[in-house]
Order: sequence, then C-alpha cells, then structure tokens
Amino acid sequence: MHRDALCLILAGTLLASAATAQDTPSPAQPPASVGDLEALLSRFSSDPDHLTQTDGAALYQTTCQACHMEDGTGATGAGAYPPLNSDNTKLTSRHFIAGVILTGYQGMPRFGGMMSDEQVAALTTYVRSHFGNDYPDEITAEEVARLRPPEQED
Amino acid sequence: MDTGSFNPSRRQLLKMIGQVAGAAAMYQAMTSLGFAQDSGYTGQVALQGPRQGRRVLILGAGVAGMAAAYEMRRAGYEVKILEYQNRHGGRCLTLRGGDRYTEMGGHEIACNFEGDGYFNPGPWRLPVHHRAVFDYCRRLGVPLHPFIMHNEKAYLHSSRAFGGQPQRVGQVATDVRGHVSELLAKSLDQGGLDETVSTEDREKLLEGLREWGVLDHNLRYGTNTDLGGVRGWEVPPGGGLMPDQKASNPLELSPLLQSGLWDQLFNFNGYSYSSPMFEPAGGMDAIADAFAREVSDTIQFNARVTRIAQGDTSVTVTYEDRDRDGMMREETADWCICTIPLSVLAQLDVDCSEPMRRAIAAVPYASAFKVALEFKRRFWEQDDWIMGGISYTDLPLVQIAYPNYGFMSDGPAVLQAAYDTSTAGKNFTYSWSTMTPKERVAAALALGRQIHPQYDAEFMNGTSWVWHRVDWSLGCYGQWTEQLRNVHYKTLCEIDNRLVLAGEHCSHLPAWLEGALLSALDAIRQLDQRENT
Repeated sequence: MHRDALCLILAGTLLASAATAQDTPSPAQPPASVGDLEALLSRFSSDPDHLTQTDGAALYQTTCQACHMEDGTGATGAGAYPPLNSDNTKLTSRHFIAGVILTGYQGMPRFGGMMSDEQVAALTTYVRSHFGNDYPDEITAEEVARLRPPEQED
Repeated sequence: MDTGSFNPSRRQLLKMIGQVAGAAAMYQAMTSLGFAQDSGYTGQVALQGPRQGRRVLILGAGVAGMAAAYEMRRAGYEVKILEYQNRHGGRCLTLRGGDRYTEMGGHEIACNFEGDGYFNPGPWRLPVHHRAVFDYCRRLGVPLHPFIMHNEKAYLHSSRAFGGQPQRVGQVATDVRGHVSELLAKSLDQGGLDETVSTEDREKLLEGLREWGVLDHNLRYGTNTDLGGVRGWEVPPGGGLMPDQKASNPLELSPLLQSGLWDQLFNFNGYSYSSPMFEPAGGMDAIADAFAREVSDTIQFNARVTRIAQGDTSVTVTYEDRDRDGMMREETADWCICTIPLSVLAQLDVDCSEPMRRAIAAVPYASAFKVALEFKRRFWEQDDWIMGGISYTDLPLVQIAYPNYGFMSDGPAVLQAAYDTSTAGKNFTYSWSTMTPKERVAAALALGRQIHPQYDAEFMNGTSWVWHRVDWSLGCYGQWTEQLRNVHYKTLCEIDNRLVLAGEHCSHLPAWLEGALLSALDAIRQLDQRENT
C-alpha cells in the first residue's frame, strides 16, 4: 500500500469542520444482515478471561487478524506488522511461532494466559498451513506446554 | 478480648476478595488498598538552561514531546520537533463530523457526526490528582468541565441476570450495602463477632449499620418506607391527588451475588476514577492544541524517523521527508528526546546501549478500541434519566459512556458506545480490533440495543477507533508488568549518552496524559542536569 494512503487526515482537528459535516449527507448505515451479525458476534469469546474458540481459524480471526490482517499480509506505516505468508522465514520454526504466541514479541502482546496449550498448538498449525504456507511438521500441545514460561498458567 | 484473632494481612485479604468476588474485584481492591499513587508532580519545572547554545531534537509532537519542547525553549534551549503525522497531539485526539482516517489494513474510518458531538479515541477523562495535567491546563488556558464517572442513575447490566434488564448503579449499591449490613448486624447481634468487637463498639456498629444499610428494627434489609428515600421509588412522591408514593423493592441477596453486578460496581472504586473527574470542554484535543499554540513553529510534520545515530557530543537523526517525495534528510543536535512509542521505536535503527535496546523491545503494547454512535435525540436523558456518566455490562461492548455536556438539548448527540482495553485481562478488545469499521458499528448497535432498545429507532451513524490499527502507535500504551518493570524500567528512563526517552511508556501511569507529562518533565530535568555538570 502506498504510504500516502495511510496518512492521517483529521480535517476537523485542523480546520473548521462544521461546513464539511453539513455537506455530508447522513449515510444511515444499515446494520449488517442477521446472518452476518450472528457470525460477527460469534467472534467474541463467551469467557472474557480465556479465549473459548478451539480451532485455529477461529482463534486467528478473533486475535491475530487485528494486526496481521485477514489474509496474513501484515501491514506497514510508521511501524509495521510482519506478514505471516511465505515472505516470513521465521515460520519455518513451529517452536518460534508458538513461543511468540505464548510470550509476545517486541510490541506484540502475549496470549499465553488466554489460551490453553491445545489452542496455541491449533493456532500455530493454522498459521503455518495457510496464507500460502505448507509446513508439514505440526506442533503438539505437549511441545507447547514445554515452551510455556514457568510463571504462566493457562 | 483478642482483637488479633482475625487480622488478615493485605495479601490474605486480597486473596479472600479474589476468591469471593473474582479477579476483577481483586484488581480493584489492590487499587484501593494503596497500590495506586498520587501524581509525582511537584510544581512547575525549574531548569538551569544551557551555558551556551544547545540544540535539542524532539521526536514526536504528542503531549510529551510538545511539553518537553515548551519547557526546554523557555529555559533557553533551541528545540525542533520531528513528527510523522501531519498533525500534532499524538494519541491525545478528538474526532468530529467530517474527519477521516485510513487505518492499517486500508479501511477508512469516517466520522459523519451531524451535530456537535465529539469522540475522544484516546484519553477522555482527567483524574483530579493528575496535577501536572491540571497545572498545564491552567497555565495554557484550557477550560475544563466536570466528567461524570459515577452516575447513580446509569446502568449495571448482566445479560444473564434479572431477565437481561439493566439495574441502576445507585440501587445496586444500596442493595449491596443493605444486605451486607444485615448479615453483619445479625452476626453481631448473635455474638458472632464478640472476639473481635468490644461491647461498646458493638453498639456503635449496630447503630451505624441500621442507618447505613437502611435496616428495619429487626435488622432486616427489605422494602420499607425509609428505603424509598434512599433507594428510590416504585411510585414516586407526587403532587395533588397523584397516587400514594411507594418504595422500590430491593434485589434479593442471592440473585444479586450471582449476577456479577457487584463486580461491576468496582469500576467506580479505583483511586484514578474518584469523583470529581474532569475533561476539557469541547474535546480532549484542546490540551494538545494548547501546547501546539506554544510550540507549533518548532514542529516539522510528515517526517518519518528511520535512524537515531549517536556520537560522543551529538546525535544525528535520519528521517524520510514525506513532504518532499520521501527524500531522506538528517538533523543533528546536542541532545535527542525521543517520544516515539516503543512498539514503533523497536523497529527503528537506534544507537543505544544493549540494555536500553532490550528495554525498548521488551514492552508489549496494550489493545484498546472504542466505538462512538450518533443518535437523533438524547433518549438516555429524555427516557431513562441518565445525565452523563457510564453504564457497565457483561456484554462485549463493556461500557456505554454518555456525554457530559449539552444536557437536555434537542438534536443529535454522541455516545461512546463501546470501549475496553486489555488492562483488565479481558479478551473482547482483541475481537473488536479484528473487525472492519463497519462491522464494529454493527456489533455495537446489535449489543447496545439490549441495554437501550431505542438504538434502532434513533441511530444516525457511527465511527470507531482501534489502537492496534494505528501505524504510529501499533497499540494503545505500554503494557508493563511488575516483572518487566523490575528488569527494564530504570534503564528505559535513564539518559543514554545523548538520547533520552519520554512518553507514557516511561512512567508509572501508563496510558494517562499525566504519565506522558511527568516522563517528559523528568527527561528534561535529567538532560538539563547533564548539561550543567
């Protein structure tokens, strides 16, 4: 994406915005259809303290997708989120990916406290087998458990 | 009498509270048991100033960067600010009708408010003990008005209790107080606390509990005439031949305990949220604008920093000049104050000590989001008597904040219709952050109508903000843990040769404007001291 497309245009912060607002017709955005809404709302976990999704795709869609995007391409700007596709050679290590999910990496938050070993394994496998990735070696929940830092409980 | 028979340590007490009321309550109790601190602000900073011409390069025109520029220039330093965006203020910003923002991922956030309502995606309320913020508001002429944090008429809501009907904050509080008073009074009356309470204290305590909990002569909490004057009315007192007044009926103890509404009351317990809170009139960006009025001539916009190089006596910053087709340029200065969020700074090429490099890379950035909705009328005021304040719910929207201005005016008004951060450990904010701007508005409407059914008829338009989709912050604020602080905090805040960091991430008040200001004041104090030794 061209960086100019990312730049902040806060007209109202710098310019008088009343005229602009008057000129903009109110687009009464209709709520999404009921079917869409149900799918959307099912993205929320039923337990706010622990993610309740169990399969890798659902876990990705309710956490990772915020930064790494729907198609795993990541995003760029003043700072960037790495892609999770074949451009990212770190995906070759299942231990590295599971470790990042458990403990975070630089600015990325940790998710170890919100996911069980099984969930971390499912998510690791999902990322390493989608977005053009096809790594055959799947991580097991037991391997995740061994990566978990001692102070962390799931 | 042995008063020491039950004298729990603070840790034991917290554990008990955690077991009885859950982690959220324990967190709140920790705050109220003295882990929260007053601001470290000790008044206007007094710098000696440089002995000869000295140039200071400041990275970031947020509140920390502009405050540092303001004070350094007053003390005689030459200052220049490099800012990535084409605006000042950083995370201290306000959206109004007509504003547009393209977030990471390419979706456009449109703010189409038609009325004068506004939306503060970042900071939105000022604790009264945040003395640096208040002092700068006074010095720079920022008008403040009260921010209603605790409105007893606002709602507490559980989708799984009381048939999904929201309950009034004040009535839940009165009922908790009443039931707890009854239990304690009965226990006292039956001699259950004779070992810990003396006979004289026992009488005083019973007398107090009767009054405080509105108990009847049998020490029972329940519907009685006195309760109407405290808890409110089912049939309110009227005039003339209107029906006779009738007290409201309390919620029963067990359903109340099971509902989780007691936990929601703890949202008001934190020291940082004690009344009265304040906000700048017209939007939080009034604070950023006030600083900009003082230092805007020092800011170069559209400058994307790529490298911070240090020599023994100077620092050179390389940046991409986005006003000149991305031409790479350099600025050299005697000192550099860097307020770039650590999430972004960790990705830049920075000359610094190895411990500081590790500190910069160590701090995760917290997830936070908000959705704001504009409605045709103030139904929360007109229909529900909620004048400002915040309702809380177990739904993923977590809270609905009502405007604290324009009361009872006709025409459109804006609700902050959903907001949470990952601080409390809840995962809802991550899910919101994965949604497109349109999806967030649809979800906020679908969830919010369970509390305010008027949503469907009154909705006009909505907007939102997801901090993890903002390319200049990559998250909302530094999410410190005690363990991370022990290892990295001091290193992060100390001058490293010619470079010093500032911003909320270099404070014990993460996410708060006060933290940004105090860290800036401490950074320039260190720098001025180094300059004069």
